[in-house]
Amino acid sequence: MRTRRLAVLAILGMVAVTAPRAGAGPSLRFERNIKVGIVDTYSGPPAVFGNDALNGFRLALEEINREGVHGARIEFVTRDEKFSPEIGLSMARELVLQERVDLLVGTISSATALAISAFAREQRVPFLVWISKSEQITGAKGHRYVFSTSENTAMAGKALAYALARRGYTRFWIGAEDYEYGHAVTNSFWRFMKRAKPEATLLGQTWWRTGEPDLVPYLTQILQARPDAAFFGTGGAGMANVLRTMKVIGFAERVPSAIHTAIDVTVLRPLGAAAPEDVWGTTDYLFYYPETPANREFVRRFQTAYRDPPGFPAFHGYITAHFIAEAYRRARSLDRERFIEALEGLRIRTPVGEVEMRACDHQATLPLFFGRTKRDPQFPFLVAGDLMTVPAREVMPTCEDIQRARTQGR
Amino acid sequence: MDPVAVLGQILVGLSRAMILFIVAAGLSLVLGVLRVPNVFHGSLYMIGAFVAWTVAEAMGEHPARLWAALVAAPLATAAVGLVVERTLLCRLYQREHLMLILFTFGVMLILNDLVKLGWGPTYRSLVPPEALQGSVSVLGVALPRYNLVLLLAGPLVATALWLFAHRTRIGKIARAAATDREMVAVLGIDVGRVFAVAFGVGCLLAGLGGALVAPTTSITLGMDHTLLIESFLIVIIGGLGNLWGALVGSLLFGVAHSVGLLIWPQFAIAFPYAITAGVLLLRPQGLLRSVW
Repeated sequence: MRTRRLAVLAILGMVAVTAPRAGAGPSLRFERNIKVGIVDTYSGPPAVFGNDALNGFRLALEEINREGVHGARIEFVTRDEKFSPEIGLSMARELVLQERVDLLVGTISSATALAISAFAREQRVPFLVWISKSEQITGAKGHRYVFSTSENTAMAGKALAYALARRGYTRFWIGAEDYEYGHAVTNSFWRFMKRAKPEATLLGQTWWRTGEPDLVPYLTQILQARPDAAFFGTGGAGMANVLRTMKVIGFAERVPSAIHTAIDVTVLRPLGAAAPEDVWGTTDYLFYYPETPANREFVRRFQTAYRDPPGFPAFHGYITAHFIAEAYRRARSLDRERFIEALEGLRIRTPVGEVEMRACDHQATLPLFFGRTKRDPQFPFLVAGDLMTVPAREVMPTCEDIQRARTQGR
Repeated sequence: MDPVAVLGQILVGLSRAMILFIVAAGLSLVLGVLRVPNVFHGSLYMIGAFVAWTVAEAMGEHPARLWAALVAAPLATAAVGLVVERTLLCRLYQREHLMLILFTFGVMLILNDLVKLGWGPTYRSLVPPEALQGSVSVLGVALPRYNLVLLLAGPLVATALWLFAHRTRIGKIARAAATDREMVAVLGIDVGRVFAVAFGVGCLLAGLGGALVAPTTSITLGMDHTLLIESFLIVIIGGLGNLWGALVGSLLFGVAHSVGLLIWPQFAIAFPYAITAGVLLLRPQGLLRSVW
């Protein structure tokens, strides 16, 4: 009798020990696939960025879906927001309410990202921002449901300010495009420049509307003011316009200039010979630097699939998919709240090294690369020279900064 | 204020004004002779830029690539314009203006989609020849070399238009038709042919403007929007259908913008529009005589 009871207890004990392990092992299967809703720009000039990001995302899904996430595949549906926050918001609404997606991903436009972020919070749907760079997304306007797998303007402005402050320039001019990203990146640059170099003076600012076709009068006006250096707050097609105008009028030879993402291949490749040399820039991804096996492998696979080398949006698309897959693996559930908890503090290996999704602000800890445009006989477009890596911890706001910004932002 | 800086901005503003003039003159010609507010004029300007890029690319490193582009693009847009005019627009001249606006708006949407289909959504860059890059010093002002080309192109086009309107038979008839088309028809002149030529010249000017602007800007879908609005404003402040009005309006518009940048850089965009509003308040019919 006693032996039987002992045997039963032993069996029960074994069951108790093995049961959770059985759940943790391959026997846990999601009852359905994971559905991601992507909102981004696929028409007009920013389409270059939207398509590149989507290609990076697709490439990662091929890898992920080979073994799946607890037996489920990651699927996606995508909508073109035509660079308009109103359209973007209605697309996000449709994806959540009609298509019943598990989470949202997007966009290149910071204004759209902020609009969708507010909606995601209200609907309690996770939203992973992959290209937009306004620091407000995970800063003052951040919340439980929004994440960023891209570097932001706070990080870029700080990296550029510190790098330029070391070069002895004191009299600056700011030229920028009058939209969310333009204001965010110039504010951040100037805030950190004053911190790094209190004697720095701002001679003046020039703002133009997005899509301004002819920047010659704006740049000649900056030339006439003769600053030591110029900082430009512009991105995407707007920056391509600044760069080509610089080239046509010989601006960079006379005024040292800095622009975030000016050294990125997505910008420099379509410009070809129309890009100027010696423009300082930052980016968080370059296909030829750092020359690590992980990066080389990513580039090789991307080029095999899509012919061209990946730009920074492709890198963001790629790591976003991996963050999603890893978080679901860790969450072991399709529940949105469990997914968020799993994503907080999650570390994944990426082509630029290990990246963490910081728990306090939901911002990916990405290193930045600083350098200046130069010709290289290996490529038919300009690349970055004099490269320097700025680690994420040096440029990211502290968790206390974020807390303060969020309290003030409310 | 530094006089050299002011002079520099005036020169840059004048060169921008030349592009505006070339495009607005085409719009004004079509408005004056055919009484058609051509909404797809901006699309032709965009097509001009894309064709210029294509021709320049096809010629590789050839030294004459820009000049070939400047010839091919206007001819291509004139051809597009003539096809639309001869097949569709010529049937609608008797209709009211609202109908013509709707029709040309529809053509604009179609043309813009065709551009997207043909060239894709990415932006393109046309690099000017080495000799036209960088700046030269003009009276102590660093003026971009390419802008010198624009400064020369404007007066050349204005002279050519004047010769066309005053020295050619068809130009004289077009001017007469602009004032009194019934009388011209009564005289037994084929007004349809006159209209086609005037429309073709108008479209040619849009394409020339696009080709000339191509080396200074990113060639993208949507580059037509701003220019279309500015051209209409210029035509309105200059006097509807008046070519010299288009010239005056363009100079005012271009210079106000670029000098405004020295006065109040953050709000320079508003200067030309403020001037337009001022002109319309004081002279609602436009600065010069309207042919309408």
